[in-house]
Amino acid sequence: MKKKKIEIFPIVNAIIFILLAFLIFIPMWKILSDSFDLKTSYGMRLWPQKFGLAGYQRIFSDPLLSRPLMISFITTIAGTLFALTLSTFGAYVLIQWEMPGRTFFANMLLFTMIFSGGMIPTYLVLRDLHLTNTLWAVILLPALNVYNLVLMRNFFEGIPASLFESATLDGCSPMQTFIRIVLPMSKAALASIGLMFAVSYWNDYTNYKLYITQPTLYNFQMKLRGMIMGSDLPQVGGGLAENTVKNAAIIVVIIPFMILYPFLQKYFVKGVNIGAVKE
Amino acid sequence: MKNNKNQSAKPAVKSGKSVGARIYRYRGFYLMFLPVFVFAIVFFYLPMFGIRFAFTNYNGIKAPDIVWFDNFKKAFSMPGFWSAVVNTLQISVIRLLLTTIFAVVVSILLNEIVNIYFKKVVQTIIYLPHFLSWVVTASLFSLILAPTGQGLVNSFLVNIGVLDSNSMIYFLGDSKWWRFSFYLIGIWKETGWQTVIFMATLAGINTELYEAASIDGAGRWGKMRYITFPALQNTILTVLILNLAKIMNLFESAFVLQNDAVLDVANVLETYIYYQTFNSGAIPNYGYTTAVGLFKSIIGMILVLICNHLSKKVREGRGIV
Amino acid sequence: MKKKLVSLLLVAAMVTSMGCGDKKDEPASNNNDNSANSETQQSESNNSETEQQEETEQTADVEKPEEITIMIDGTVFTEVNARDQFMAKLEELIGIKINVIQPDHDAYYDTVQQTVAGGDWPDVMILSSTYYSGYASQGVLWDMTEAYESSDLKKRHDAASSTSVIDGVKIDGSLYGMPATRGNGCVTYVKKQWLDNCELDVPTNYEGYLAMLDAFTTGDPDGNGVDGDTIGVTAAGFIGAEAPFTNYFPEFYQDGYPSFYQKDDGTWADGFGEDSMKEALQRMADAYAKGYIDPTTLTNGTGDCRNKFFSADNSFGVFTYWAGNWAQRLSDGLTSNGLDGELVALPPLPEVGKYLDRVPPTWCITTKCENPEGVFKYFIETMQDGGEVQFLWTYGVEDVHWSTKAETLFAGTENEKVYAEGEFHGTESLENPGTQYTKGHIDPYIALVPLEGDPKDESSTQAVKDSAQMFAENCVTADLAPSTDKMSELNGDLTTLKNQLVADVVMGKLTVDEAYEKYEADGGAGWSQEIVDSLNNR
Repeated sequence: MKKKKIEIFPIVNAIIFILLAFLIFIPMWKILSDSFDLKTSYGMRLWPQKFGLAGYQRIFSDPLLSRPLMISFITTIAGTLFALTLSTFGAYVLIQWEMPGRTFFANMLLFTMIFSGGMIPTYLVLRDLHLTNTLWAVILLPALNVYNLVLMRNFFEGIPASLFESATLDGCSPMQTFIRIVLPMSKAALASIGLMFAVSYWNDYTNYKLYITQPTLYNFQMKLRGMIMGSDLPQVGGGLAENTVKNAAIIVVIIPFMILYPFLQKYFVKGVNIGAVKE
Repeated sequence: MKNNKNQSAKPAVKSGKSVGARIYRYRGFYLMFLPVFVFAIVFFYLPMFGIRFAFTNYNGIKAPDIVWFDNFKKAFSMPGFWSAVVNTLQISVIRLLLTTIFAVVVSILLNEIVNIYFKKVVQTIIYLPHFLSWVVTASLFSLILAPTGQGLVNSFLVNIGVLDSNSMIYFLGDSKWWRFSFYLIGIWKETGWQTVIFMATLAGINTELYEAASIDGAGRWGKMRYITFPALQNTILTVLILNLAKIMNLFESAFVLQNDAVLDVANVLETYIYYQTFNSGAIPNYGYTTAVGLFKSIIGMILVLICNHLSKKVREGRGIV
Repeated sequence: MKKKLVSLLLVAAMVTSMGCGDKKDEPASNNNDNSANSETQQSESNNSETEQQEETEQTADVEKPEEITIMIDGTVFTEVNARDQFMAKLEELIGIKINVIQPDHDAYYDTVQQTVAGGDWPDVMILSSTYYSGYASQGVLWDMTEAYESSDLKKRHDAASSTSVIDGVKIDGSLYGMPATRGNGCVTYVKKQWLDNCELDVPTNYEGYLAMLDAFTTGDPDGNGVDGDTIGVTAAGFIGAEAPFTNYFPEFYQDGYPSFYQKDDGTWADGFGEDSMKEALQRMADAYAKGYIDPTTLTNGTGDCRNKFFSADNSFGVFTYWAGNWAQRLSDGLTSNGLDGELVALPPLPEVGKYLDRVPPTWCITTKCENPEGVFKYFIETMQDGGEVQFLWTYGVEDVHWSTKAETLFAGTENEKVYAEGEFHGTESLENPGTQYTKGHIDPYIALVPLEGDPKDESSTQAVKDSAQMFAENCVTADLAPSTDKMSELNGDLTTLKNQLVADVVMGKLTVDEAYEKYEADGGAGWSQEIVDSLNNR
């Protein structure tokens, strides 16, 4: 009886996920199909009428593409490292429940999540710090994200206290404990929150729009956004396949994270074996 | 098992020492918090001088003109304001609960998949919609849900005989169906992304627990119920409460999916303010929008304080932060 | 809990104290800024005054500024479209060094607001009608009436009978910004082949228009053998988001106008409460019920409309869209789908009278500009000199944006174009390879001053020419409503209510009478009256 149940469940489960993935994928497929379709159409067509790569050729043959792409990579990598440093430091301090001032720090961070100064004051502060029209604005501004910091702290909470105790007994400084115990124990947390930061840096255009007026500092997303929004600016000519290029641009933006995710997943799959770290 | 988890979170240091001694003991941690502190001050607290604009009329040109609570009075006296507040609370709370429940169920079930390649493919597919902008999502779904032969859902319903072709449902243009469609699109777009954080939490479960449970004779459901779900509990609570803080900020998704015919059920506070300023044909009064922003923050704070208080009961005296 | 409360209070105290600190600091530093600014301004204006005095003695002329800062949106050549070369050429022609601030087009007005609030105002900005009238009333913009009245530019405008456009952007008789072109608007395009397939002539009145929609909706205009799989007309919503609100459905609105307009006697009124608007709503409701208007109009974006128009099946036949270059782009979209690209630009039906021209964006000089007269004379005026400088603003730089050299563009594609030596043509776009430049900031078809030796007819297609000329002959400029306090207070809610009622009536949820009862009951009529009063009692 019990044995039979175990055999049925994985099949049902697999069927559920095949259906779910299928339902979620149909709308994505529509975009993919349209990106290869040289004919413009309206309707739920799920196969190109006239197959062609012109949409992608148009994007990748652009001589002005390499610079924004470079800027995207630089800001995403630098920003994610910066942001992970802040989040892990902050999260590590927030699990020191006995530390005087901890609650104050925690509330101070929580407060920034709820209250904000608004668009113009933020601009004025950045301007007075001479950060506008520099990549520092788009790297530093999103680096402290309290939401992610608290999630990180949540993961750190799960690290057994005995590990910290033994580290303290060994005479480790907080920084040494952080590097020897906290980081190795939190690969899944670093992978998932790092991914969240990387995605927000990669997809960022709001900060570019608001704080950078120098197009040579625009990232890939800003570049493709122009194509996706179907700009009506006068210099932009008709374009024979406006819709094709638009859909191709939507797909191109997603590609890096389609490739990256399966690699990160190995950190989510393995359960942590605490015994091993204890040794 | 539950105890095991909680034990791990108990303070390592014995309290009762003098504050001075404790400060000295934690000196290294203060240093580590310094960068976070500086960032918070510079990028969040310095711009907060702007909050005072809420009590002024300010158009960004002349010096702000102090009007105290006039902006709040104006907002509170508009009939559209309160209905927008109620809409916002209803829509975002229900959407938050739905997407979270969905993401948790999907995560737990995903965790049961043994074939690693199948798991990877499924995970990757379901997280892709997160990368579409809301504008693109809206135009995609206005097509999928269109009340014509080209609308995928309606033509499916006609084909299986649920509807006839003269009574197709205008999912996004009918007040009766709009919210349902809105939640569905939200689930479609964000479920996969939310599972990222839950899957990472599940990865942190000590494998020994499952082994021990197997020895104790626990079945699949027993393990899910007594190990997997409790492990997620903390993260679920945190995600829910953190999102409550921002609950009044609902804008883009509602904005791109709404239209003139469904405003009675779809107009949320941010879109209401947007129309109020954009449609007025005048330069926005920055003081007014700041006042509304402050009102939203206060509601967010109240919600967070209440939930934090409740969460302490579950988390043995600790709040979510 | 107590501990938490205390620390929250601490945080709050910190914030307020910071706020207070800032409150103290802020005006002070503002004052410092201001005083510093006004000092420099004073000293500089002193300088310029003395210089000017010297100059008046010598040449009695306006001093040419050496260097100016301009803030422009994406309607001027952007950086990827060789803005540097454009500006270099402009500097060479007018002899002024130009610093350019060109934010992303989508964020232009966010950046304008930030810049204005930050106090480092540029000398010149491009502003849309809303920001133009708002900033004018706040003293941000320099009153150029006097400079304009005595200028050669006015003579050129008068000669080209463009004066009405300039009058259209005056606020109570004062001019705060200079339009470079008319505002442009929408005309109704009809698929020629569809008319032929239904054996119809171009409609000349509303009855004919309805008959055409009926044939397009119930007949087989696309000739695929299926009756009724096509639609008459569509648009992105039943009512436009900005003035002139009726521009996507002029045939149904006719003389109904849902917003504020100036009567012949100069007083203001709200057209929404008038019978003409009620009739317009009834017309749209009838047409919607008959299926002439696309059932997804409410949720369509403009991109959806274009895709649907280009689509080979389930398409629609009548599309009211921008005059001028879009005539060609719509036609190209059809041809590249293998369809017949011929479109008829429909002259306004007698019931419609005229198409509506938008209020154009304007070039404004800020009050922080040190030498506004000089900027007006040497920058604003030259832009419409009818000669070399205007040519640059219209077509860009030779051999960058246009060329007369013999060349073959897009060789080997179905879009291949061969140009002989001496033939004027746009070069291949830098930003959008595979397409050509057609114009720069100034669209030659809506320019206010005729351009000497203008190659527009040579470089543009017949379709563009026809639609632009037809529109120019048949348009009136929409009224620029000045902003009043009542307006900024109430008009947002009022417009939302109006838009809701329009949607409800057209889609059959309410009858016209019910809608107007609701309009009264929800306070719309009252708000409308308050705004009208505020406009008339300024």
